[in-house]
Amino acid sequence: MVMRKLELPLSQTQKVRFQTAIERLQSPAEGHGTSEVDDELLATVCGVVVRVDKLVYVRTLRARYKPQVGDIVVGRVIEVAQTRWRVDLNFTQDSFINMHDDNVQKRRTSVDELNMRNIFAEDDVVCAEVGEFHKDGSLILRVRSQKHGKLDKGQLLKVDPYLVKRIKPQFHYIESLGIDLILGCNGFIWVGEHGHVRDPMTKNTRKEQSHTPLETRQTICRIGNAIQVLSNLGFTMTLEVIMETFKLSNTRNIDIHDMLGSEFHVLVTENEAERRHG
Amino acid sequence: MVGLSISEQHFVKGGIAQDLRTDGRKRLTYRPIYVETGVIPQANGSARVRIGGTDVIASVKAEIGRPSSLQPDKGKVAVFIDCSPTAEPTFGGRGGEELSSELALALQRCLLGGKSGAGAGINLSLLVIKEGKVCWDLYIDGLVISSDGNLLDALGAAIKAALANTAIPKVNVSTEVADNEQPEIDISDEEYQQFDTSGVPVIVTLTKVGTHYIADATAEEESQMSSAVSISVNRSGHICGLTKRGGSGLDPSVILDMISVAKHVSETLMNKLDSEISAAEACEDES
Amino acid sequence: MQRIYSQNVPPSTPSINLRRIAAAIIGKESCEVTTMEYVNPEGLRLDGRRFNEMRQIVAEVGVVSKADGSAVFEMGNTKVIAAVYGPREIQNKSHQQKNDHALVLCEYSMAHFSTGDRRRQKNDRRSTELSLVIRQTMEACILTELLPHSQIDIFLQVLQADGGTRSACINAATLALADAGIPMRDLAVSCSAGYLNSTPLLDLNYVEDSAGGADVTVGILPKLDKVTLLQMDAKLPMETFETVFALASEGCRAIAERIREVLQENTKQLEYRRAA
Repeated sequence: MVMRKLELPLSQTQKVRFQTAIERLQSPAEGHGTSEVDDELLATVCGVVVRVDKLVYVRTLRARYKPQVGDIVVGRVIEVAQTRWRVDLNFTQDSFINMHDDNVQKRRTSVDELNMRNIFAEDDVVCAEVGEFHKDGSLILRVRSQKHGKLDKGQLLKVDPYLVKRIKPQFHYIESLGIDLILGCNGFIWVGEHGHVRDPMTKNTRKEQSHTPLETRQTICRIGNAIQVLSNLGFTMTLEVIMETFKLSNTRNIDIHDMLGSEFHVLVTENEAERRHG
Repeated sequence: MVGLSISEQHFVKGGIAQDLRTDGRKRLTYRPIYVETGVIPQANGSARVRIGGTDVIASVKAEIGRPSSLQPDKGKVAVFIDCSPTAEPTFGGRGGEELSSELALALQRCLLGGKSGAGAGINLSLLVIKEGKVCWDLYIDGLVISSDGNLLDALGAAIKAALANTAIPKVNVSTEVADNEQPEIDISDEEYQQFDTSGVPVIVTLTKVGTHYIADATAEEESQMSSAVSISVNRSGHICGLTKRGGSGLDPSVILDMISVAKHVSETLMNKLDSEISAAEACEDES
Repeated sequence: MQRIYSQNVPPSTPSINLRRIAAAIIGKESCEVTTMEYVNPEGLRLDGRRFNEMRQIVAEVGVVSKADGSAVFEMGNTKVIAAVYGPREIQNKSHQQKNDHALVLCEYSMAHFSTGDRRRQKNDRRSTELSLVIRQTMEACILTELLPHSQIDIFLQVLQADGGTRSACINAATLALADAGIPMRDLAVSCSAGYLNSTPLLDLNYVEDSAGGADVTVGILPKLDKVTLLQMDAKLPMETFETVFALASEGCRAIAERIREVLQENTKQLEYRRAA
């Protein structure tokens, strides 16, 4: 890809690949990304060595999502199974939302297998919180608050999970634009019209597919492309960075589609370099 | 392959209706096209074309053969397409076969004209060496490495570029030969002839979503289509071939409208491709 | 230690002409059968390399954006793309054998235009054998116990075949797996060596491979110093075999260095851009 050849004037950071830990730690704690071979610590993945007190581990960059309890994630329903919904999160296994989850049951008098599709159907985009790990390694998701649930009137973008920072909050309501932005820790990002995170328990009115006004649509597309550009360049995504990129495209009067061209990529890179060191 | 929720589908269709697709393009805008030629050195001609996330390679190999008895004054061309599982895990094993055959057939239809060879985008008479005895067999192979919609247009562009890159060796044929004998042929190692691609068409696929048509659909948009019409148009604005895909029926007036829209779009695409191809060839010459 | 890389062989040298010359001399067109000179008196091979020089290597990651990990690996004119999808949910439950280990699947395909004469169909015996061999090599190298209940798909697409295809595939697969962040015991690297005109030769190309001499393909895990793949056709006296094997292993280590450099550089770049 042409863009990977861009060079940024950044300060040197130390990187190590498959290097054995030199210091003899009193009780070396083996973190992930390492394994012990003949009393020496060897790296098993390609990444950045991190040392925290006595813990040494290798943090990979590009990899599937590594869930932590409490993460807010955005996923797509791939199957409506007998008592649960199967959700794709870009994790090593599929995840599940249980029908018998307290939060699902609370508001409806009875959710049964027949009307599961009224809550979440196949291909729906949902926002949920990581609950716990099942014993077979799969993930259980919870729809705890009003903010969780089906997502409407917008678009879903997928980026590498390592580019999304785990900082709260992850739901952003950009009032000036009337846009909701959800940065899922799993790298799935939702940009859409405000107020269309539907509580799964309220009555499902499918007829309500009103038109998205052009201006809102333009904003959604512009933010979407900003996220795409940041992902192409490998820059961490926070609300701040995304909105700055969005504003940059507006002030320079760049056509929405041209945002994906070389010139804008260079501009964003220069802007980012300025932002970090300026 | 790409599942979209009802509301996402509505969003995509709404965007197309408002002439603002999810990536900001207008309905008839193509994504940026990148062309590289000479990527397969052992072929007579080759090219790699990238349109957005779609990445394809086409190669042209020329072998000596006999013309068919039905058309002794024409050479032969065969098109084969392969969808690599690197593009989609579902293409693994025999998964990609159906799509590959569909694409190959559509390309043959667009480039090679009817059974008599008349009106072919590729002029088959240029491939004959000695009428009735010796001709060139061109094998055009396409490989899809990465797929994000609009495979047919990308393959058409790659084949056009590969043909532009094709150099066919000059052949000397012994003239005096009896009717039932094969003449001796001497394939030159030094002298080559560039293949004439002025007549080779470009393929424009228009995908109908709702009541509008879009050019260069992404995989997401293709999943929402009701039908698609692929039209191959050459430099003179003539239509060389036409294929319709998709279950939905189309009103004849709609098809005629799509054809005229395609002709209009093909001009821009043709110019863009030609300039990309010349740039790529120049690049290759330098290296 | 002498430099192992060959710097002076441009990667796009077409080997068609060499092939035709070799075919002609070997007897395809009813000429006199003479012993082909693969190594001339000055010690240069047909493409100008010395006996212990490898062809030029090009290695890059991230060529298929949709895949979790991908890479392209070139050794001279041999060019292979590897794409890794996973670890992900097991697609076909019937494939699952061990519950506590990841399932590793591998498919090897050659493009129609990859060889001098066009390829036939997809699922011939050689492709099946190579898919199996590469899968076993990579499976031994991946820490499958860390990823239970998941599936890792490795797809190899050969764009150009000019000898050493299986080595190129293993090297490409290693790069792609590292790009996908999949934990491995070590980098699996592979190289081939042969014996022609009484000389051990490193990294045979197609012409040298078809000459009828022995062809030894070696795959090693360099840090752990273990051999993970060893294949040979034709016969060799034991001593000669040891020399040829040693040569191939040296080639493997040189490739491992190169792969390590590429991965480190790539990681550096990603980390720089990501910032704090």
